[in-house]
Amino acid sequence: MGLLDATRAALLLLVSGDPELWGIVGVSLSVTLRAMLVATPLGIAAGYLLATVVFPGRRLVIILTQGLLASPTVVVGLILYLLLSRQGVFGHLQLLFTQTAMIIGQVLIALPVLIAFSLSAIQGADPRARETALALGASAPRIAWTLLLEVRFALMAAVCSAFGRIVSEIGCALMVGGNIAGVTRNMPTAIALETSKGDFAQGIALGIVLLLVALGINTAFAFFQGEARR
Amino acid sequence: MSLLSVRSLTRSLAQRRLLAIDELCLADGESCVLTGENGSGKSTLLRILAGIDAPDGGTGCFDGRPFAWRPYPDWLRKQVTYVHQQPYLFHSSVIDNIAYGLRARGVPGAERERRVAEALSWARLNHLLDTPPARLSGGEKQRLALARAWVLRPRLLLLDEPTASLDADSRRQTIELLRTFADAGTTAVIACHDRDVIELAAMRRLDLVDGRIITD
Repeated sequence: MGLLDATRAALLLLVSGDPELWGIVGVSLSVTLRAMLVATPLGIAAGYLLATVVFPGRRLVIILTQGLLASPTVVVGLILYLLLSRQGVFGHLQLLFTQTAMIIGQVLIALPVLIAFSLSAIQGADPRARETALALGASAPRIAWTLLLEVRFALMAAVCSAFGRIVSEIGCALMVGGNIAGVTRNMPTAIALETSKGDFAQGIALGIVLLLVALGINTAFAFFQGEARR
Repeated sequence: MSLLSVRSLTRSLAQRRLLAIDELCLADGESCVLTGENGSGKSTLLRILAGIDAPDGGTGCFDGRPFAWRPYPDWLRKQVTYVHQQPYLFHSSVIDNIAYGLRARGVPGAERERRVAEALSWARLNHLLDTPPARLSGGEKQRLALARAWVLRPRLLLLDEPTASLDADSRRQTIELLRTFADAGTTAVIACHDRDVIELAAMRRLDLVDGRIITD
């Protein structure tokens, strides 16, 4: 099958609502969204604490977090695999090759992005925002909430960036998910598998969806970054 | 009767003395103006009194109740309000900005709405309800910041250069609002170089040099 034929077949798969293809898209988005639901509050809270609380070793934690931004996802997958495999510390939980394992992996990959971006957003906030909230009698939780609202666009950009990183990552998803059809097969792992089998049509169709998701996320990221600078 | 008294208030930064006040007493309802060169300690004093910064040492007593700065007590924070030289307005609406302190104090909805409406009229901001705070003029921002303070009915109001960088008309309107604070019996400490504001608070003037009160 030539490239043109494969592309035509891919478009047909997309518009015909092919259940297998859209099932893979569903697994991908479901796993990523659940991972973001866990990672976002944790990452933003950690970023806020790092930005506002002085404690011994804080500088080291910041450097470590920023270093983890570039960590290869396959290494995260390897570490998680070792922890979740039958001989691993958490082997008894029998999580390997499940969506839960994929979610844990994606949370670990998303967290440094969320923490580093949130930290930067909160540190970049006008110091008068906190002082004004304080002077108007706000409690510590209200001050935190106010500050987060004041930098909401920068935080949304952080969320978009983290989502973009985990929705397209393949290394960790393949290692701890196992690419099981209908269960843990997501867009990146399916593209790799179908391409290796020579079934370009499904690979291209999934590639188009992934590209559109990435494009949407990056557009949202650019929008929120622009709003944050205003 | 004294509303606020502080003793032996000191603050230094990198071995440079920012503030060294032996004693300062403010009577209830008294307005006073802080004057002095840039760096003389006016803003430092206001920020310490507001509980934004902590002094290196010193004791305080508010309305007969002693307090420490570390931590600055919540009961005192509810009595004192500070307005920056260039007020910071939250990225929400004009109404939300005014209601902020009331929400922080847990004032119920109906009461909050009534007081916000009254403060809007007081500061003549009713026509700006749909304008994002960031798009307000300098004078309107200052009036909004004062309305945000007025709505709380603070016992002690701390203002840092409230008329700096305002045009003549905005300056006049701001001074009118400051006069109503004084008329309402609010104790105020105003860091200022503006002669009209100084006359407004003619009751008392404190000159600061190198963090010390040299004339009272």
